[in-house]
Amino acid sequence: MISSLYRWIRRFFADFDATHREKAAALTVIEMEELENIFALLLLGAFTGVPSPPTFLAVELLPYMDRELKILCKRANDCSDMLAEMCGTIGID
Amino acid sequence: MKILFFTGKGGVGKSTMSAASARQLSDKYRVLIVSLDPAHNLGDIFGVVLSHKKHRFTDSLFLKEVNLQKLCRDYLQRETRVLTDTYRYLQTINLDNYFSVLKYSPGIEEYALLTGIEETIRSEKDFDYIVFDTPPTGLTLRFLALPWITVTWIDRLIQIRRDILGKRHTIYRIRGILDDKETILSYDENDDDILKRLKKLKENYQDLSSLLQGEDCGIVLVYNPDTLSLKESKRLIDGFRDLKLPLRLLINNKIQTKYKTMADHVDSAMQALAPEVPIQRVAFSESLLDGKNSTLYDIPEIILSPLEMK
Repeated sequence: MISSLYRWIRRFFADFDATHREKAAALTVIEMEELENIFALLLLGAFTGVPSPPTFLAVELLPYMDRELKILCKRANDCSDMLAEMCGTIGID
Repeated sequence: MKILFFTGKGGVGKSTMSAASARQLSDKYRVLIVSLDPAHNLGDIFGVVLSHKKHRFTDSLFLKEVNLQKLCRDYLQRETRVLTDTYRYLQTINLDNYFSVLKYSPGIEEYALLTGIEETIRSEKDFDYIVFDTPPTGLTLRFLALPWITVTWIDRLIQIRRDILGKRHTIYRIRGILDDKETILSYDENDDDILKRLKKLKENYQDLSSLLQGEDCGIVLVYNPDTLSLKESKRLIDGFRDLKLPLRLLINNKIQTKYKTMADHVDSAMQALAPEVPIQRVAFSESLLDGKNSTLYDIPEIILSPLEMK
């Protein structure tokens, strides 16, 4: 009985800790994804008509760019409703 | 090894001056002269048929005309190979050959030319002098600017990448884990493939940039004693200054005794623009017009003498 209560309290505090850590990191995660999006956009800008760096740079880095490309596509998908995106980011329901 | 680029407006006599200089230098040194101008006439000046392979003119003088089309093809082949390697799985359904359309990409001549110059400099180490006869102003400034432009771009990208890694590190310290469901993300500079590749590329281009800006490299600017030539030369001097490329010698070519006042005026204007650079005067050769002079590279003035004295 006591050990199960002890386990429950431990789990409660662990979850409490994780939730708060997750909350604290959430904004930085968004910032990081935005930066990755900008990086991909600058490098592969020719897709969207942005003046792009020397083409060979994009080709050279392409093999490592899978994550950045996914974020770029996700952003392109979401950009039709930027207001909702922003509300979600700053926590307005 | 010393490297000289002969530049100037179209038709001022870049090819003739570079050919004559190379010929004169070859009395003392081993010299390779390379024409980068798509409208080659180096072969015409020396009276031989040239190709992209080195041609031995004398024991100490070698000639070469760069084949721009071939350079572009080689350059694109390398780029296409990276793409084909990345999308290797397409080979299983025979779609990989669609990348061959890349050979029609616009704006690659400058990169191909730069790669050509770089390869020549790196592979021809046993020459004392490499003399490059360049295409007219526009293209020359564009390809000489490329290493600098590329390094600037890479610097910006490295900065953004570092910011990304900084954010990742913060997230790692708060959350303890850093993944995007499939892969674990790196936050250390030494683990990030993109940053490692960017640094490597920057190193390459910085090497080339410092080689072009260094002691052993020099720009020789050829012009004629006329107003148009003076105006374009001003733009070139500004361009070289912006790119920090070392201008070593000014050549006032095709001077005629009856227009000496104009030649003096142009020279003083040029000297004001580049006070520290010596000027060499080359007289207009009357024999060019009477058809008797068959060796166009024979010029009485020792063209690079101001440089040797330095």
